[in-house]
Amino acid sequence: MWSSLQLTPEELSALGLSLKVGLWCTALVAGPGILLGWLLARVQFTGKAIVDGLIHLPLVLPPVVPGYLLLLLLGKQGPLGHWLYDMWGITLVFTWQGAVVASAVMALPLMVRAVRLAVSLVEPRLEDAARTLGAGPLRVWLTITLPLAAPGILTGLVLAFARSLGEFGATVTFVGNVAGETRTLPLAIYTYTQIPGADGPALRLVIISILLALAALWLSELGSRRVERLLGK
Amino acid sequence: MLDLNLELRQGPFTLQGPLTLDQPVTGLFGPSGCGKSTLLRAIAGLARPQTGHITLNGEVLFDAQRGIHLPPHHRRVGLVFQDSQLFPHLSVEHNLLYGFKRLSPKQRRFTLAQILDLLDISHLLQRRPRHLSGGERQRVALGRTLLASPRLLLLDEPLAALDEGRKQQILPFLRRVRDELRLPMLYVSHAINEILYLTPHLAVMEQGRILGQGPFLEVIRQDHILGLARSLGLENVLQVTVSRHEPDIGCTTVHYDYHELHLPLSALPLGTPTWIALRATDVALARQPVTEITIQNQVPGRILDLRRVADRIVAEVDIGVPILAEITVKAVHDLRLAEGDTVYCLFKARAWHYLGAA
Repeated sequence: MWSSLQLTPEELSALGLSLKVGLWCTALVAGPGILLGWLLARVQFTGKAIVDGLIHLPLVLPPVVPGYLLLLLLGKQGPLGHWLYDMWGITLVFTWQGAVVASAVMALPLMVRAVRLAVSLVEPRLEDAARTLGAGPLRVWLTITLPLAAPGILTGLVLAFARSLGEFGATVTFVGNVAGETRTLPLAIYTYTQIPGADGPALRLVIISILLALAALWLSELGSRRVERLLGK
Repeated sequence: MLDLNLELRQGPFTLQGPLTLDQPVTGLFGPSGCGKSTLLRAIAGLARPQTGHITLNGEVLFDAQRGIHLPPHHRRVGLVFQDSQLFPHLSVEHNLLYGFKRLSPKQRRFTLAQILDLLDISHLLQRRPRHLSGGERQRVALGRTLLASPRLLLLDEPLAALDEGRKQQILPFLRRVRDELRLPMLYVSHAINEILYLTPHLAVMEQGRILGQGPFLEVIRQDHILGLARSLGLENVLQVTVSRHEPDIGCTTVHYDYHELHLPLSALPLGTPTWIALRATDVALARQPVTEITIQNQVPGRILDLRRVADRIVAEVDIGVPILAEITVKAVHDLRLAEGDTVYCLFKARAWHYLGAA
């Protein structure tokens, strides 16, 4: 079973795909996550509870449900999927881009929660001080709120990345289990467990998953320490 | 300069009143929680009143009727917070320059070097706020606000978070700001001695209302403020000058006009003008000078007024300045006191307390 430390092409493809989907998902979630987190922490608007609920739904639903809803919405026959294909020739179903979208939907609530908490911990009177010193709302946001919420934003990004690495249900429902295209690490592990006698490859992927998760945690720890030093803590 | 009349409701709390600042420095005085900070926030643009107006040097900052509410960053009104609110992620230097670097050179009234020198903070430039002491933090916060070249400086209890020793270290810097920069200031405090150190002009607030404003002695004599003055032990306030110290007998002698008073020993330099205060209940009256008594001060005066307030009588006696004495109705009957009578006011030396240098 340990005959070789060399990864097979299939394993390599699953690992590469997981990383690719994870990074794109993190990038996709960053902007909206920061904006929504800040909005929920600082701005009072009508329909806030509804927005809040919608963002958090994927966190409490079985992942197949958002996956299926994505399929209905973004599938070739779905209203949005139809339009995307006609207008731009974009297909999400059975593609890795679709896997990114599925991961992003599942990761967004984690990102939003982390940012909301971080922003709500920024002392509003620091923002007041900046305003009386002549900074407009955007400048206050960029120079005070965002830097002070940076550790929370970083945590949110790491959570989003980790959520994407672990994403299974929504992905398999929305984009299937296509080798080389949507078969990320969890899907590959699942596939091997369904094949009699493939415990070895499954276990190797499990170990890779663990190492990947540890590396992500270590990097985020390094990052947050750096940020905290920059923040003067 | 600053002229406002507004009403601002926040839940059960209502802030209201007119206020006009026409002095270089005005103290805003009142007990904690009376709405002083809210008033400053309204002037700075951080809180929006429901009705009224605020104008600064003729420019309308706020006018409810005309729907004008200039945002804080367009007001050029500086606000120094009680707890400094320095930006923790920026060095002292970047904190100081935060407002300064956004001004066009024409708008800048002071240079960084000038402020560093004035507040003695040059050696702190590279530090982070968390490495500063409380007093240093307040000086940096003051410098940061000054460098933003405000047209009006609002100070919200800038010394309240500091211990007594630190307060005494910072107060002279505030005096330098007053004298050297000539920036109009509104200084909020619940400590009358801090205010009197900077200015004899004050406005008095209680429970969200601005009760009155003017020179200190006139304001606290106003009938509707007397209750507040009484609760703070400020019914009798005199401005005196230190004449001599006698440490061996624990006594400092001061004078006003041609009268001398013996007070507890103080460390104030000779010749310093200072404010001293005495409660009306700590004044006794006698027909004749009393011998063989420990009371150190017996000053003759004439009764100007005897007023019955509830179950007691407030006597106003002219001893060169008007002094209020609170005595019982029985005492007035026993001595058959009447307006115009000559009496001796008896003050224990230790009943006087120093409000601080004027």
